[in-house]
Amino acid sequence: MSMNDLIPAIKKVLEEVDVVLGWTRSPAAGVAVPARFHTPDEADGAIFDSTCIHNLAVHLPRLKNSKVGIVAKGCDARSIVQLIVEGEVSRDRIRVIGVPCPGVIDVKRAWRCYGFGKKIEDAGGRVHMEGRSVPREEILLHKCHQCRDQEPVIVDLAAGDVTSMTPPPPPDKSGIRERFAAMSITERREFWREQFSRCIRCYACREACPLCFCRDVCSMQTREPHWTGGQVNAIESEMAQQVRISHMAGRCTGCEECERACPVGIPLMLLLEEQNKIIEELFAYRAGASLEDKPPLLTYDINRDGGWR
Amino acid sequence: MSTIPKSGINAKIPLLPERASITRVIQETPAVRTYRLVFDDPGMMAAFSFEPGQIGQMSILGAGESTFAISSPPSQKDYIQFSVMKTGVVTTAIHELSAGDRVAVRAPMGRPFPVNAWKGKDIVIAGGGIGMAPLRSLLMHLLDHRGDFGRIQAVYGARTPADLCFAGDREEWERRDDIEFIATVDSGHPDWSGSVGVVPGVLESMSPPPANAVAVTCGPPVMIKYTLESLEKLGFAADQVFTTLERRMKCGVGLCGRCNVGAKYVCTDGPVFSLRDLRALPDEL
Amino acid sequence: MRFIAEDAIPRLLEHLAGGGRTVWAPRVVRDSVNTVLFAPWSAGEPVETGAYTHLSAKAALLPPTERLFGFGYLQAAGEERIELEPEEPEESPVLFGARVCDARALAALDALFFPASGGFNDPGYAGRRSGLTVITLACTTCDSACFCSSFGKGPAETDGSDLILYPVANGFLAEPVTDAGSELVRLDLFQDSRLEKPELAVTARVETAGLREKFIDLFSDIDLWRQVSEKCLSCGFCAYACPACHCFNIFDEMSGDREGERCRSWDSCMFYSYTLETSGHNPRPEIAHRYRNRIGHKFSYFPANRGEILCTGCGRCIRGCPAGVDIREVIRTVQER
Repeated sequence: MSMNDLIPAIKKVLEEVDVVLGWTRSPAAGVAVPARFHTPDEADGAIFDSTCIHNLAVHLPRLKNSKVGIVAKGCDARSIVQLIVEGEVSRDRIRVIGVPCPGVIDVKRAWRCYGFGKKIEDAGGRVHMEGRSVPREEILLHKCHQCRDQEPVIVDLAAGDVTSMTPPPPPDKSGIRERFAAMSITERREFWREQFSRCIRCYACREACPLCFCRDVCSMQTREPHWTGGQVNAIESEMAQQVRISHMAGRCTGCEECERACPVGIPLMLLLEEQNKIIEELFAYRAGASLEDKPPLLTYDINRDGGWR
Repeated sequence: MSTIPKSGINAKIPLLPERASITRVIQETPAVRTYRLVFDDPGMMAAFSFEPGQIGQMSILGAGESTFAISSPPSQKDYIQFSVMKTGVVTTAIHELSAGDRVAVRAPMGRPFPVNAWKGKDIVIAGGGIGMAPLRSLLMHLLDHRGDFGRIQAVYGARTPADLCFAGDREEWERRDDIEFIATVDSGHPDWSGSVGVVPGVLESMSPPPANAVAVTCGPPVMIKYTLESLEKLGFAADQVFTTLERRMKCGVGLCGRCNVGAKYVCTDGPVFSLRDLRALPDEL
Repeated sequence: MRFIAEDAIPRLLEHLAGGGRTVWAPRVVRDSVNTVLFAPWSAGEPVETGAYTHLSAKAALLPPTERLFGFGYLQAAGEERIELEPEEPEESPVLFGARVCDARALAALDALFFPASGGFNDPGYAGRRSGLTVITLACTTCDSACFCSSFGKGPAETDGSDLILYPVANGFLAEPVTDAGSELVRLDLFQDSRLEKPELAVTARVETAGLREKFIDLFSDIDLWRQVSEKCLSCGFCAYACPACHCFNIFDEMSGDREGERCRSWDSCMFYSYTLETSGHNPRPEIAHRYRNRIGHKFSYFPANRGEILCTGCGRCIRGCPAGVDIREVIRTVQER
């Protein structure tokens, strides 16, 4: 896809919405940063490339009173669909500009491993960072490997051919997931104790999650209900996170924004991927995969299924 | 402005409260109870001093801490009094308490009403609902030093007669002839023979002369808004009008960050502000 | 000047930890996407002297959660009473590998929490601060998020440090700033050296002149604040990563029915709940209001109250923001209005 497809698409959608959520290039960092386009002139700054890592659907519940256009990768579209299915976003007030996505680069990991702000070039199957070069598959976001969602579930206007992408290759098998899978229950307990010992409870995980719409009254932070202590320590921080994750059951689309947002690098997706796998096995349900499917946790009917026993 | 008295716990470790016990609970209205507290340390009680308008933090250890205006007058040396409206987690827990229960207190905090600068002046007081709490302290202080001040006119309003606090005090203020006091309600009741009308209206009907006078108001935001308009209509200038602000507070010593309005911290630069000072603040109330 | 070889650094840390003091040092955290944090060091652990830490060093002085006191409800002679147990102040630690941007932020924290510098009586902070030793790594390089050259002497600032280590081939030149620093360089681990101090980094800059007043002029321009905060997700990361942000929450937690603790924790003005009142009223309901307060506190209110900007240009909020907010762009936008 080129900007020749994207910019006209945004301008077209701007004819019927108040604002389009997309990306522009950060002058300081050189990578994509989220941007809002209100006018055709502003839209000239729009870009899409493999550093467009953010899931812009997170802004939809916060823009409840506007008609909003949104540039969406296939995975982002799943979040949009889930928001619609849950009644958080009205289909009528959004216009989805689908973009063909070749997989996005884990910019945080790239910069933490090779130096913050290094110029990132994605060309010829390799990612170049000012003199260094790594194979693309080594630095993609985990969710992009063997992506099943390259074609967005809902598209009002496609910027380029969104149907013909080749899923990126499977990930390297020496990573944290494989090591975690091999751990005993006791080792896993230790692993999480250590991971959550550095959580600072900044709630970036929650705020970056498009489906965490309880935000301001989130049980991680509120004292009504007082389910977790406010202390920043391994026990309370993990408890707070586990409550959040439980609330994501059947709702998480696996967009990885929580893990990407985590400033101290806690591999939250290990927990969410496991939960998503169980939900898919139990209910044959993938959050945001279809506008028609009903989330398992919304199918409970007290009249039909009875109360607590 | 007067300096902040450094008595009580402020002089020691500001975040460490003093133990205190409830000696009496008064049910003021369905939602408001007044708590009389005595510091467990008799020396602390004897040394405790404050000025009207100052605030304190009352804790139920385990539930947390909340900020209240001190509603007793400085002359009351036997106890310190907070009037508490049941609204959130802590105030709900406080409403479970009765005489003999143990609490913790940090007080006094904040800048008081500049009463010393008001000597020789007429004083106008307009309070609404639970906003009467600091004004009760002020009014009783003025009456304790009655000779220092000119004419005192006061109006206290609430939604219904049942929502008016401080019944005993009201009777005394109505009885005394050295103060013009009117209690008023937004909507009356068969048993209510007093004034019916909102505070700003009653205030205007009392037509306090602005010359050599100050006006003090505290109450719900909408009442304050219209009271300030009435005072302006009556000819009061912005530096003659005082109010006390409420913000969410934690530390009470100007550090934790949340109660600032622009560069001013309500807990230490306030809670008392003149209308002139308020207007100089960024609009973020 | 004195010199210490790179391979002598572990022995320096062991010496510093000798009296039982906690030594905080930058360390790469295991299984963390290369996260570098200040953390208590123990012998044998590697220290990261090249990378910048993703959070500032403030946790060594203002822990994310600090117990202020414990309390208990006791029954004695048929009567209930309360026991308060103030927390014993900890011994002051050593901070190894702070950067100039960390060290110079201490002045702002001291002005608030340290009686000797005019702050209020905070026994926890004072205990950790009073004998604190700060060994700073000077920056000969910087990255694109750094902007400390905007403030004072920039990378050449010595405020807050006891000893500054300048990276040179195979080690560091050591320049003492205080008596504690001078004492350290007399150790055998250091040798005399004729090497020249290296060139220090020159970072990006922002113009903060006039910002204090400009902010007040633009306070009511809510559209401006909505525009500059439109990317912001309202998490607390920037405040928690910042060496100068210090706002906190106070809360009680019970353990069982009869005892508990009162804690102070980091808090952020970016949270909706931060200013939410029990009535439901919130003076800062929108992200724009909260972001405005963040900028105001750093560049207008704190300078008005304490004479100092509450930002040292460390760039951590920029490096780690999940939404790509760059405070320098915000300052530029405000300055251009």
